[in-house]
Amino acid sequence: MAKGYAGRYLRVDLTEGRFSHFTVEESLLRKFIGGSALGAKLYLDGYSLDADPLAPETPLMVMTGPLVGSGFPGSSRFAVCAKSPLTGIWGESACGGTFGPELKKAGYDGIVITGRSASPVCLSIVDGEARLSDASGLWGKDVYETTNLLREADKGAKALVIGPAGENLVRFAAIGNDKAHYVGRTGLGAVMGAKNLKAICVRGSGKLEKADEARFREIHREAVREIKESALAGSLHAMGSDANMDIGMINGDVPIRNWTIGEDFELSSALSGPTLSETYLTRTHACANCPVACKRVVRVPDGPHRTEEGPGPEYETCATFGTMIMNRDLAGVIKANELCNRYGMDTISCGAAIAWAMELYEKGLLTPQTTDGLDLTWGNMEAVLALLPRIARREGFGGLLAEGTLAAARKIGSEAVDAVVHVKGLDLPMHDPRGFHGMGLAYMMSNRGACHLQHAVLATEQGMASWPQLFPMKDDYQGTTSEGKAELVFHSENYGILGNSLSICHYLTDCLRPETIRDAFNAVTGFNFSFEELMRCGMRDWTLKRGINNLLGVTAKDDALPKRILTPLKEGAGAGSVPDVERLKREYYAIRGLDERGFPKEEKLRELGLDDLRERLYRK
Amino acid sequence: MAKHQAMTQEWLDAWKEKIAGSKEYKEIAKGWEGSVSIIVNPDPDKGIPEPLYLFTDYWHGDVKDFLICDKAKAESAKFIMSGDYARWKQVARKEIDSTKALMQGKLKLKGDLTYIVRNIKSVNKVIDLLCEIETVWPDEA
Repeated sequence: MAKGYAGRYLRVDLTEGRFSHFTVEESLLRKFIGGSALGAKLYLDGYSLDADPLAPETPLMVMTGPLVGSGFPGSSRFAVCAKSPLTGIWGESACGGTFGPELKKAGYDGIVITGRSASPVCLSIVDGEARLSDASGLWGKDVYETTNLLREADKGAKALVIGPAGENLVRFAAIGNDKAHYVGRTGLGAVMGAKNLKAICVRGSGKLEKADEARFREIHREAVREIKESALAGSLHAMGSDANMDIGMINGDVPIRNWTIGEDFELSSALSGPTLSETYLTRTHACANCPVACKRVVRVPDGPHRTEEGPGPEYETCATFGTMIMNRDLAGVIKANELCNRYGMDTISCGAAIAWAMELYEKGLLTPQTTDGLDLTWGNMEAVLALLPRIARREGFGGLLAEGTLAAARKIGSEAVDAVVHVKGLDLPMHDPRGFHGMGLAYMMSNRGACHLQHAVLATEQGMASWPQLFPMKDDYQGTTSEGKAELVFHSENYGILGNSLSICHYLTDCLRPETIRDAFNAVTGFNFSFEELMRCGMRDWTLKRGINNLLGVTAKDDALPKRILTPLKEGAGAGSVPDVERLKREYYAIRGLDERGFPKEEKLRELGLDDLRERLYRK
Repeated sequence: MAKHQAMTQEWLDAWKEKIAGSKEYKEIAKGWEGSVSIIVNPDPDKGIPEPLYLFTDYWHGDVKDFLICDKAKAESAKFIMSGDYARWKQVARKEIDSTKALMQGKLKLKGDLTYIVRNIKSVNKVIDLLCEIETVWPDEA
């Protein structure tokens, strides 16, 4: 058995209430490593790609990687994968917290869940023993309440939980872990809800066996030293991810007013990481095994948006519920974040949908009659906070938004569709490609739709990290040019995507030297991979998911940026600049080995050892 | 325009003059108070046989002391930035943004990072003004 792995996976059939185990051969682990890459391979090999994302036969996979449970900094991650109910293509979302390491300790590298329970259930796994229990009493309760009740029942268990949004199949429903960490993107909470699965609880006492424990301890010390010296780690600890708000506003990264304005320093100042630290921050919080502690814990002591002490917003949320909707009140952002957490909704897609609705309201395409009386004027947080539960419960106008921005827009008309800022149905994260053309290409080519975490482009193009030992890199990239970006994106994808198969946090990947990550991987697994082999795994991962998407109907025409992003801004660092989509695509396709249809070429699939995929893509 | 020998008192004076003459800086740096020292690590091959210590001081849009100093004075500053000569040269020639150099570990900072981020516009402006100085570099003289 390969070291660094628990050595088995749990298969759960919720329709029949049956459990079984399976193992994955080491040869397959050496190709796909773990996490979402292995999830994609299992999906391709074992399940119908045609099934609706919410159908019982669609698998929901919870996957870890070899570093999870090792104690290596940032190795608390796990990925949840399924066909996305929001986009209809490959869906995945990675999450930190405590669940991943606990699953390994409980004896499993991953869980594959199919079927649909006749009534709400909770899946519990304790030291290799799985069982289903009635969760009818938890159905309807929010993520915080459910987590508290599960903790009362089993103090040591770590839980994955859906809220009312997942139960009601909101297409951007999230899954919460320990209230503070979320499987946010691509609507996987709805897949869990469709299976009548309210929660997954794990508890274990196992210990991960490493190939070279002494060497691992040495590398671990080196990693901690690098983190202590890293200014990025210091910034994340001091200000969380929202440190990006001030710097991003200067650099043209922050979207404003549904991507129509390029600069507003009063807004960024009101919503920034330093402001959060000076006002509502009560303490910081860390995922398992993380010395950085970037998570914010906040409390709004009084006023209309009063909250108890709880998980605070990330940068993305400060943008979606701040700059995107012209809200300058940080307390309002914190309250919106809390509600999204409780109901279990992705703050990016949810906030993006509301920003889109506010634009339509201003244009008269939505009226108080169509919004059930809500005044969706820019910045009206009272209306936003009233709307959030209606989305989660699919009530009236909320039910329209619960279908996702693109589907909602299609019901209204072409002007409404033009205001949706998405790639392949996934709303853009809060980084503007007009300021950073490489990010535009990364959005176009990401396998789950517009994504900032399926690659390391945010770090490399914006200069937060530099890895010349991995691939040719400049010290400083100009954001507003498309020149040289195809190559940068290609390499940054191959490296960044590895974070999702090793299951290590992207922030830590950015803070640590690649040598340290490679050496930790080798000390844990004994695989003794070179950089070239690791990067090849990244390339294979990307190509595999691309092929799955091709089988699901994705072609070259889907590799596009939305009209809004191809409309230049008048102000800010990105003013007058838009990505050169044709050039970026042409250069990228050549490097990535895609044909004119956007399919991986046969020789590329052979080169990467993806013959099964080649068979299916090129079967006559 | 006269050229100034890098990392000398006359170079610091030219930089100070630039900042003092900038209306934009005066406006955006209203919130900044405190000194920043620059430590240049020795690099004999580039004409820097000993570490260099530069002290700069700012107060709500005004500039105060800009001095070549000793180690003790440099270490008394509110913020201490250190790095190799080649990196400082890249920053002063706009070949790398100072924030990126910090994040990539090419420069080191001691001091409250939150304060820097809060005042990032004034930090950037000070560097932009440094980049405007016609400079003669020791390894190019």
